[in-house]
Amino acid sequence: MAKVSFRSVWKKYGELAAVKDLNIECADGTFLSILGPSGCGKSSTMRMIAGLEHISAGDILFDDQRINDMAPRDRDVAMVFENYALYPHKTVFENMANPLKLRGQSTDRIRERVNAAANLLEIGQLLRRRPQELSGGQKQRVAIGRAIVREPKLFLFDEPIAHLDAKLRAHMRGEIKHMQRTLGTTMIYVTHDQLEAMSMADLIAVMHDGELQQLGTPREVYNQPVNAWVAGFVGEPAMNFLTCEVQARRDDVLLTHSNFALPLLPQQVQRLNGHAAGPVRMGVRPDGLSITMRKPSEPVITGEIFVNELLGGDMIVDVQLADARIRVKTAPEFEGVPGEACYVTVNREKWHAFDVENGRAFF
Amino acid sequence: MTDTVLSDQSIPGQSQGLFRVRQITDNVEARPVPSIATEPKLNPPASRAYFFGLMAPAIALLACISLYPFCWLIYMSLHDVEIGSAVWNNFENFTKLASDSRYLNGWWLLIQYSVMCLALQIGIGVFLAVALNGARFEKILVTTLLMPMMMAPIVAGLVWYFLYNGTFGWYHWLLQSVGILGPKSILASTGTALIGIVIVDVWQWTPLITLITLAGLKRVPQDQLEANMVDGASQVRNFFAITLPNLYPVLVIAVMLRFMDNFRFIDSVLALTGGGPGNATKILPVYLFEVSFKFFKLGRGAAIALTLLVVTIILGMILVRVFDRQQTRKA
Ligand SMILES: Nc1ncnc2c1ncn2[C@@H]1O[C@H](COP(=O)(O)OP(=O)(O)OP(=O)(O)O)[C@@H](O)[C@H]1O
Ligand SMILES: [Mg+2]
Repeated sequence: MAKVSFRSVWKKYGELAAVKDLNIECADGTFLSILGPSGCGKSSTMRMIAGLEHISAGDILFDDQRINDMAPRDRDVAMVFENYALYPHKTVFENMANPLKLRGQSTDRIRERVNAAANLLEIGQLLRRRPQELSGGQKQRVAIGRAIVREPKLFLFDEPIAHLDAKLRAHMRGEIKHMQRTLGTTMIYVTHDQLEAMSMADLIAVMHDGELQQLGTPREVYNQPVNAWVAGFVGEPAMNFLTCEVQARRDDVLLTHSNFALPLLPQQVQRLNGHAAGPVRMGVRPDGLSITMRKPSEPVITGEIFVNELLGGDMIVDVQLADARIRVKTAPEFEGVPGEACYVTVNREKWHAFDVENGRAFF
Repeated sequence: MTDTVLSDQSIPGQSQGLFRVRQITDNVEARPVPSIATEPKLNPPASRAYFFGLMAPAIALLACISLYPFCWLIYMSLHDVEIGSAVWNNFENFTKLASDSRYLNGWWLLIQYSVMCLALQIGIGVFLAVALNGARFEKILVTTLLMPMMMAPIVAGLVWYFLYNGTFGWYHWLLQSVGILGPKSILASTGTALIGIVIVDVWQWTPLITLITLAGLKRVPQDQLEANMVDGASQVRNFFAITLPNLYPVLVIAVMLRFMDNFRFIDSVLALTGGGPGNATKILPVYLFEVSFKFFKLGRGAAIALTLLVVTIILGMILVRVFDRQQTRKA
């Protein structure tokens, strides 16, 4: 168990900077998820922690001990590799037993731990097989098994369930999270799937192009994204963005668009911080909007239903405005059909405004 | 199998240590329809005549250049052959070999020679390859290292003959001044002559092993090395657990090439010692050369050649078998 700290960590491959000035404090026992699109430097970060990649600049600390120059085996971490990295000439059992064997555990203990892990991962019947006789998802589970047979200081999971089917993935999300809670081991979990990060992590580090965008709890990242990029990346279906104007009128400050003009809440006016007029990007998630077929009394956006998608328990309605299209989340009972006029109300508690230039969030 | 079931149904008393064990409740209604497909009628396989037609020229060529001489070899081995005549002799060529001490000694020397050469070449070759792999100036160093291999074996033999020379040989002087050698040349005493020819073979052919091993090293899966390192292996252990098993297939090939060469190539031995002193370096192929082309006992020579060939083929087949197993294990 360990606290993990990144102090201005850089990773450079020649000229290319894959990780730029990364600063993260991850308390002992935290489930930290590193979230970002492909190629943003997630795996590079993991590999630096594991000791497989030289740390170009800065320090990584475990419990205040600098580990930059420590050999991988002395770091006491367990890693699930993105590409499984199983040993093809060993059986599944031997693959999973390897970390224990290398650390001189007794045969009984090895058998007990491997069987327990195999049960958890539902691969008990595969223990005799070799990796080439397994499907991608099974391999991935073996790779997870190899990591969890031990009780290391730190778990490093690099997209460990990306190749499982949706149902098994949902199941594994729960299992991994439960396992981490029970063991209380610090976990760094890389994923490009925002749902995975949101549902599992205590702390999410959102990365883009090697740079840390936001470090916060899932709630913070979802409800108070620091910039438009994070806001757009996190959340499914994605946030709606409309370019609006800020206009002061009498005692109100309005956010205007060709389809609507809605007043900001007082605390939001404050957060605009002098940005009294001019364009901003308004962002609102589909669940911050609601849709009706009858015109309500409050101020609304009028539009026309473009298409609606039923997603089991929810319905997503695409609404065509004069010059934009937005998505609204509503109940599956919604009876509107494409082509009809509809009315969208905004929950102004839940909308965001971003700087048009640098994407920074005002609120 | 649903998520709610998964998270709620932990079975009391069955949880093992830290892990929950759930019951898998298969959803019976969700099972797919049982298969009703019957065995299909198979399409005819591709025509064999076509394949044989394609291979015929190659087979014909092979028959001329190797099958024909091979038949002659068998024929000669069963006869007393003089130039112009051949007399059937009731397998005497073979039966006499059993009591031919120089023949038996030839085998014994060949085995010693081959084993020493292979062990040293593989050991040093792999070591060099590992040291050179990914080193600075790797390409230049490897090229330099390859020099001995490019020399004709007979030239190598002659060069070393002079280096070993008791009166003016540089190596001899070097070894003697450190006290390893007495005043006699390494090739001149029966006890060390075999070592002398082993050294030359090792000098000339270790680079080949290094080259093959280097190629093998490039293909050692990096991710497995890394996984094993994180699992807790030291560098040395990593080498034996991951690198070496991945090198086995190329090493098997290397062993095959080298042992066959040892069984065939006698250029350098002839240049260095000609089989002497006494019979100290008269490995079987050298003896075979003597019998056939010095004493012109062609029938007897053919019989020796045949036994050598059979052993070579058997060993070769064993190695191919081993190689195949390595491959299937890897695939
Ligand atoms: N060994 C390397 N040499 C040079 N460039 C590399 C190397 N490894 C990664 N990169 C580059 O560094 C950047 C970050 O790569 P990294 O593997 O960390 O991405 P990632 O976030 O893990 O992506 P993914 O989600 O696709 O796995 C990429 O642009 C990649 O091309
Ligand atoms: Mg990656």
